[in-house]
Amino acid sequence: MMLSIFRPLIALLLTGTFAFAQSEPVLFTAAAFTKAQKNSSIPTDAGIFIRLPDKGWTPYGPKIQQIASASVDPSDSRRIFLACGNGIVRSTDGGQSWRMVTDWRVSDVTAIVIDPSNGNNIYAASGWGLVRSQDGGETWENINTGIDERFSKTIKLDPRNPRRLLAGTGEGLFESTNRGHKWKRIKDVPAGHVLRLRHGNAKSGVWLAVTEGHGAWLSHDAGKTWQQTAQAAGDANLYACAVDPHNAQNLAVGGWTVGVLTSIDGGKTWQSRREGLPSPNVLTLTYDSNDPGKLWAASFEEGTVWSEDAGATWEDGGLYGALTNDLGFLTLAKNTR
Amino acid sequence: MLLWQVEGGAIRCQSTENDLNIHKTCTSLPLRRSLNMSGSMKNFAPLRRLTGALALLILVAGYTSAGTPPTAPLSDGEIGFAYQERRSAFIKAYLTRTDPTDLERGGLHDIALNFAQGTHLEWARARLRAVSKEPSGAMFWMYPMVLTMHAGAAHLNDDDWAVIRKAWRTYFPYRGDTENHWLMYYASIYLAAEIWPDLPGSEWYNGKSSAENRAEAKEYLLESIRITTAYGRGEYDSPNYIDSYVSALTLLVGWCRDPELQHKAQMMLEFELLDFAAENIGGVYGGAHSRIYPKHVIQPSLAASSALAWLLWGQGEMQLNGSALIVALSGYTPPPLLQHIATDRSAPYVHRELRRTRWRMRHAGPDAVEIAGLKTKPVYKYSYVTEDYLLGSSQGGLLQPIQQQTWSHVWHEDKPLGLSNTFFALHPYFSALEGTMYFGADWDTVVDLIARSKVDYNSPDKLMSGSPHEQVLQHKSALIGLYDIPAGTGFPHINTFFSRDLTHRTEDPSGWIFAQGGPSYIAYRPFVAGEWRPTDWTGLLAGGAGAWISSGHNEWGAGHQVYVSESPKNGYVVQIAATTDFDSFEAFVQAVKDLPIEFSLSPIATATFTTLDGTQLRATYGETPTVNGHRVDYDQWPLFDGPFAQAKPGRNEVTMRHGDTMRRLNFRDGSIKTTINSDDE
Repeated sequence: MMLSIFRPLIALLLTGTFAFAQSEPVLFTAAAFTKAQKNSSIPTDAGIFIRLPDKGWTPYGPKIQQIASASVDPSDSRRIFLACGNGIVRSTDGGQSWRMVTDWRVSDVTAIVIDPSNGNNIYAASGWGLVRSQDGGETWENINTGIDERFSKTIKLDPRNPRRLLAGTGEGLFESTNRGHKWKRIKDVPAGHVLRLRHGNAKSGVWLAVTEGHGAWLSHDAGKTWQQTAQAAGDANLYACAVDPHNAQNLAVGGWTVGVLTSIDGGKTWQSRREGLPSPNVLTLTYDSNDPGKLWAASFEEGTVWSEDAGATWEDGGLYGALTNDLGFLTLAKNTR
Repeated sequence: MLLWQVEGGAIRCQSTENDLNIHKTCTSLPLRRSLNMSGSMKNFAPLRRLTGALALLILVAGYTSAGTPPTAPLSDGEIGFAYQERRSAFIKAYLTRTDPTDLERGGLHDIALNFAQGTHLEWARARLRAVSKEPSGAMFWMYPMVLTMHAGAAHLNDDDWAVIRKAWRTYFPYRGDTENHWLMYYASIYLAAEIWPDLPGSEWYNGKSSAENRAEAKEYLLESIRITTAYGRGEYDSPNYIDSYVSALTLLVGWCRDPELQHKAQMMLEFELLDFAAENIGGVYGGAHSRIYPKHVIQPSLAASSALAWLLWGQGEMQLNGSALIVALSGYTPPPLLQHIATDRSAPYVHRELRRTRWRMRHAGPDAVEIAGLKTKPVYKYSYVTEDYLLGSSQGGLLQPIQQQTWSHVWHEDKPLGLSNTFFALHPYFSALEGTMYFGADWDTVVDLIARSKVDYNSPDKLMSGSPHEQVLQHKSALIGLYDIPAGTGFPHINTFFSRDLTHRTEDPSGWIFAQGGPSYIAYRPFVAGEWRPTDWTGLLAGGAGAWISSGHNEWGAGHQVYVSESPKNGYVVQIAATTDFDSFEAFVQAVKDLPIEFSLSPIATATFTTLDGTQLRATYGETPTVNGHRVDYDQWPLFDGPFAQAKPGRNEVTMRHGDTMRRLNFRDGSIKTTINSDDE
């Protein structure tokens, strides 16, 4: 009994050690270059791009027109999943080869999470609802019981409990405590579109959610209760949020016309950080996994910037012309990128 | 005597033993199977040509043996013979597009045709390599590539195949976001995977083996056929995108080796063509459309549907179009019944169809219904078709993203190319709500991104648009449009299109505007007076925006006018009549002016109008309209209903009729039953 309780933790520690010994987090974006797109519905370039110290932004993986996000199995960095308009594309050899593991039933996938305690359990959000695989991505099933407005752009696993999932949908924030079998709305958060969901490290218990028109929402108890935060953006369309994995006191939200707002005190106070941004329209944010406190922000088609002073000043990060669907860190094996 | 005929790729036999007797139908046999052309044959192009020749012989034999006097309507044999003549002429004309000295120009359709015909092979090889170097266009690359692989197989050498193979291994096409994209994508990958039936996943862009790709594609294709024949197509009745549907289905009809899929695709192709044939006026796709482009809304005969109407049914003029090329190369022969339906306008008729919106990703609304786990909303189509014109509509509302045409009037022209033989009105609406309803983009970017390719999407003078603030009632040749546009909506006006090809345009002091379009008279009564402007009053399209969708604007887009009526609460009445129904234009004007009409805009738009045939129409915005006091029964709307086509929703079965002939397609069991003079129905 004791063994079964601790097995996920042991597995995580063991596999995590294995993975990180040979891998390191790399900044990535899932992007489409739309700014130069004239009289066409096809972006001039699209796919996953990773930022390498010596090469800058570099295409990674197959070139696919519509990719919304990417995820790596925390227990095996060779297993990489791409969330695509076509469905889900998987590599099991660190990106050497790729296979579309979903069929026509799954499309417009927006986000993927992988159970760190059991890489066979994979969950994905899509424009048409939530899906789950329990065999490593070989087969998929819909898991929308309890959700009517199924459009979803974000799904996250509780880092303290891999049976527990939170997902943003078209009618609010939903929680499942049984691996997605059933869902229940978290009523603290308004019943509108929840667009992005992020959490801090397991110990912090900090979760942050942003919405379409209902501002940002913060939880300090692992997503059980939520309070509105960043009141200055209370009715904005917020597309981006981030929690510093090294220090959950560092928070950021971003959205349309509001730029970036940051907090360094766990959400007690917020500062508007529009000054120096290439555009006030911010779509994605992430804190640097390798560099504590460093914040990355990507605007709509005007490029990516980074800041080491909580947004007081910004430095050019490239990617001009891109619409970024996601910005984050992938733990990729060094020899496969 | 047994008379054999080739019909829709199938051999059909009719008993003609007794002139008085009923012509009983024999079972339709798929032609290829009946000739023992099994799917195991790697290259059956020569045999295909043989069967084509055999078909022609049989047709000619049928034509001559039947002894039918050469009077209208055409016999099936005459129809088949004329089709084959047009098919040959089309291929010959299409070949003239190729300039073998120009290695920079020529797409996959041209490449496929030259490989198929064995002409300009050096040019075809060079162009094949050029377009395969860095493929783009996703399914728009896939399906003509498949055409090249199948139709051109006899002249593709090993090096050619290596080029093609590499492309399928390395280029990862997007599956797209519309029904037509998915149909082309899956038809193409299925047919490509049939050519290389046993390859492992490492040889395909998506990592799936040939068998896996075939299995998935077949499952999707059969499911899409099931949904469409039960609930209607979401991307319904598009004069442009019929090109995609016909292309994909004809590829399957022509080259698929799986008997079930080939047969169902053939049935589905008939279903698509029936859909067009019943709303066809002189080769133009009339009525309400899910998707239409500026040049096609202004000059309807420029759409792909008209190119197909010429090839399939001899209507209008030849136009070199991609789907028509695929039909011509495939060996497909449409059932003669479809030509009768497309061209027989000897009696006016009402034709109704139940269709649906595209699947709604979000903001589906309280009136959405769910089919197979996806949300949609019914579209109630109504068309009134005469030999002179077709007035057709949907009920209004937001039924399709971006390119909806809620209603239109098209008058008959023998040679419609170059003519703008249409009349219509719309509320030019755009919104993030509409965009996010159907696409995954964000609220704040979706309108901008749509307008990157559909440049007129957020233009006040656009001529295609669905609007959630619009409601339409049609009964035969009359129509009422009502509008209730909330404050803050982008453009609170109605654009009503008046073609440069109208004559007698008259603004009457009564408030009516009259005109003549070909053999039809038009009466239009706006509820709020407006002003005349050039069609493209922002100059957007004339300035060249929009690439191919606005190319050649001066030829098709100049010289028309729109009547712009601005008011948040608004409406109009339309009355159409055949010119032959009146002694003169003046007589028509007087007759319409004498009709009872009442309308008001406060507190809500409402209108009561008694039509030329004495029917009283009453509509109040937001309420179910009435015809002679009876509420329109939308709940009982049929999938198809009219003299030529009948189908009930959810049944996967459609019946076509013309004269004594009835043809029933049962998509549940795959049976096709054709009867003549059937008394047993």
